[in-house]
Amino acid sequence: MSEKIHLNVNHVSKTFRVNKGELQVLDDINFQVEQGEFISIVGTSGCGKSTLLRMVIGLEHPTQGEVCLWDRVVSKPSVDCGMVFQEARLFPWLTVQENIEFGITRDFSKEEKKQIVQQHIDLVGLKGFEKALPKQLSGGMQQRVSIARSLVNKPDILLLDEPFGALDALTRINMQNEVLKLWEHEKKTMVLVTHDIDEAIFLSDRIVVLSARPGRLMDIITVELPRPRERSSDDFLRIRAKIFKYLTSHAEEGVNLDQYL
Amino acid sequence: MGENKLEMKSAGKKIWNFVLTILAPVVVVALWYFVTNTGIIRQTILPSPQKVMGTLASLWESGKLWTDMSISFIRVLRGFALGAILGVLIGGLMGFSAVMNRVLSTMVNILRPIPMLAWIPIFILWLGIGEKSKTAVIFIGSFWSVLLNTIQGIQSTDPKLLEVARVLEKNHRTLIFKVYLPSALPSIFTGMRLGIGAAWTCVVGAEMIAATSGIGYMIHYARELAQPARVYAGVICIGLVGVLIDKGLLFLQHKLLHWAYVD
Repeated sequence: MSEKIHLNVNHVSKTFRVNKGELQVLDDINFQVEQGEFISIVGTSGCGKSTLLRMVIGLEHPTQGEVCLWDRVVSKPSVDCGMVFQEARLFPWLTVQENIEFGITRDFSKEEKKQIVQQHIDLVGLKGFEKALPKQLSGGMQQRVSIARSLVNKPDILLLDEPFGALDALTRINMQNEVLKLWEHEKKTMVLVTHDIDEAIFLSDRIVVLSARPGRLMDIITVELPRPRERSSDDFLRIRAKIFKYLTSHAEEGVNLDQYL
Repeated sequence: MGENKLEMKSAGKKIWNFVLTILAPVVVVALWYFVTNTGIIRQTILPSPQKVMGTLASLWESGKLWTDMSISFIRVLRGFALGAILGVLIGGLMGFSAVMNRVLSTMVNILRPIPMLAWIPIFILWLGIGEKSKTAVIFIGSFWSVLLNTIQGIQSTDPKLLEVARVLEKNHRTLIFKVYLPSALPSIFTGMRLGIGAAWTCVVGAEMIAATSGIGYMIHYARELAQPARVYAGVICIGLVGVLIDKGLLFLQHKLLHWAYVD
């Protein structure tokens, strides 16, 4: 069992020092993600869900507890763990092709690099845009480049930090379908942070619901609907209502979870 | 039809812009022509434009102008190359390392306000009155703007892009050459444009003090021989070459940093 646990968030708390005071953003978060699982973390803005993701990649460190990937405590970023940020964060001076190639950190020959890049350009559907500069692309296309860049090192886990938050509704749905395809095709473990409840239900095996600051684990909801999921089905809407209730309820001290179950 | 109208409009706008660009010089030359040809100002103080043009033409034909200009230009290139290289290197050091920045910034703040003219006697003491001291003066003239703009460019690198590089486990070399440097390049270019402009100003100053060749020397010598037309011809050349150098660098900037100018 334990060898299948890919990501272990082990009683993690995080406190930031702000000026002279302290700001607790996460309080005793504890959950495990299995290999190949698609997990979403939802919560209102400021609940620390992005901070949690940044701790998984090693850009931040827990104040208490630990984050482990394959039983190894995360201390610094690793190419085994891919990351897609909310903004595409492309290098404006590099073309699509060059931006994706920049992602390759492992040693490959020039030929292999070229092949990997082309493969990923095809994967995210950007054929014909190899020589374009980021400026010349739409927001959705920029994010595709960013996703391709995060995949070229063949990480076994991909972290997505509100990757579609800045896109328009239609593009977002489009990208969700693409990510689903990607997940089914690549069989990677995926951790998605989002405030879009529909997005979380549409994509995930399980949904981690966090309370408002400081973020506490309210519930982990298993979504047992067959994919591709119908966004307007009764089951879908029932889960949606449940999460919505969690997120709109005020998370006072010692919130009574029973009333929601 | 509508498209035609639009085209005509843009053509009209182009002509209008051109008129605006050359308006001020044309007015100045017209005024100059007026005050000199009507005798309001004596020709020994300000020769007429046609006389200056004549002198310019004869200087060009004799090859004298070309010789002096190219000597000055090579001096500028030498001093500027030194200033640009050291400016980028030291600026890079100060931009990357907070420690180096702290160590060097006091020195920079003390030395930077010293005017070029104050450096000339010092360099003559150190390096004699030959080419070395001229190069040194031009170097100082171009160094500061390259230095400061390099520091600024490196420090304003987007931390979000640096984070991407960190997540991808990039080493320091890649960080410096693939992230910091390209991101600082527009700023470095601005520094170089300002720097070569300053260098061109400095060469004339340096040549007026101790030289037997160059455009600055030519002006200085012409004044001693009471040849005002030559003085003005020289001054105009300095201005024109200054514009050409700047346009050239701007062209280069657009070529090399075309990503920054794509719509």
